[in-house]
Amino acid sequence: MTCNKALDESVLRETAAFLSEYASLLSGCGATCIRIEKNTRRLADAFRVGFDISIMPTHVYVSVWDDNPAEAVVTVRKTIACGISFNLNAKLSRLSWEVSDNSLGLAAATERFEQIRKTKSTGKWETLFLTSLANASFCRLFGGDEIAMLIVFISTLAGYRLKQIMLEDKRDIRLTFLCASFFSAALSAGGHIFNIGSTPEIALGTSVLYLIPGVPYINSVSDLIYRHYLCCISRFLDSIVLTVCLSAGLCAGRYALTWIKMVLA
Amino acid sequence: MWNDILINILEDGLFAAIAAIGFSSISNTPRRAYLTCGLIAAAGHTIRYVLTTPEFGIMRIIPASALASFAIGVLAVLFAVRIKCPAEVCFFPALLPMIPGMYAYRTIEALLSCLYHTQEDAFEHYFYLLAYNGLTCSFIILSLVVGATVPVFLFKKLSFTATR
Repeated sequence: MTCNKALDESVLRETAAFLSEYASLLSGCGATCIRIEKNTRRLADAFRVGFDISIMPTHVYVSVWDDNPAEAVVTVRKTIACGISFNLNAKLSRLSWEVSDNSLGLAAATERFEQIRKTKSTGKWETLFLTSLANASFCRLFGGDEIAMLIVFISTLAGYRLKQIMLEDKRDIRLTFLCASFFSAALSAGGHIFNIGSTPEIALGTSVLYLIPGVPYINSVSDLIYRHYLCCISRFLDSIVLTVCLSAGLCAGRYALTWIKMVLA
Repeated sequence: MWNDILINILEDGLFAAIAAIGFSSISNTPRRAYLTCGLIAAAGHTIRYVLTTPEFGIMRIIPASALASFAIGVLAVLFAVRIKCPAEVCFFPALLPMIPGMYAYRTIEALLSCLYHTQEDAFEHYFYLLAYNGLTCSFIILSLVVGATVPVFLFKKLSFTATR
């Protein structure tokens, strides 16, 4: 009896560890709280264990039990900082359905989870080119002419590359946003200050928009709707801080160019 | 005149689609979702363009953005099932081309001008610009986000079984 109980506890502990690891990766890749809750609960139901989850801004707490919630095994995991990835989000969501529909065991689920964890990000050059093209199109949507589009394309290319380099070097994200925004704004401010093209102001205004942290803004509203207020406020404040950094970079870039123009004059 | 309007609508949709596909790559969106994101973005942006064009409608940009983003949310929930991705994978890149970038830029510009000008008249003028652009920008973003999130909430079952 004691032996069986010990075995049960070890299985419970492994299940709790897997579920918390799953939830922390899902949280790190930018899933909303309701999705984390639903997917993890689906897995727990498939493993036939009692389950509860508490999602905090930087951690997830998972408790798993067999019959008695008072004897629950509780695990805590720090949110895995893997960056926003909808690809991971989609694969992890699909895994929860595969486990649920095909009654996969813990070992099979863990094996698939480890494969998903190795998913590579979109190629950096592909992202760099597509983002620059997207921002140039953005400029056109705001009424920018072809020259403004070209300025925005070049400034985004330079700014986004700087962001990639700084993030690869593990620099602070706020500093990264500030520097990338400054760099892009300074390049596109050239068009504004030296009157290149007919819509230089639009080029300057659009040049930093690729930095807007849209996913946390949207997720914070979803968390608000489903009453995950702590995560909602945390995500919203994170987004506000990054938006302030990119605005400061934009202002600094513009003023630096104005100052250079005055000195040259 | 109608030819020009039609060309403008097509151009608007095309650039919105390119912007959506480009921005979706930042968030590591699966490649199979690119086309869907582009199409949904084109549809959403075109709806807002038509609603705010004097020839078609006289709607202000805030309610037009809310309607367009609601349409994006509904389309995202429907198409998410086809490409087996969560609905937010589709609607997030599609919403980005509607972000009021120029209002945001003018808000910051007005803020700096407020700090720079000490004369009451000039300060009041820039403070008015700051409030107008800032409020418009904030409410457009709010209407975009709420408009696109509501369909996920309304069609909860469909939204959360898309990856099945």
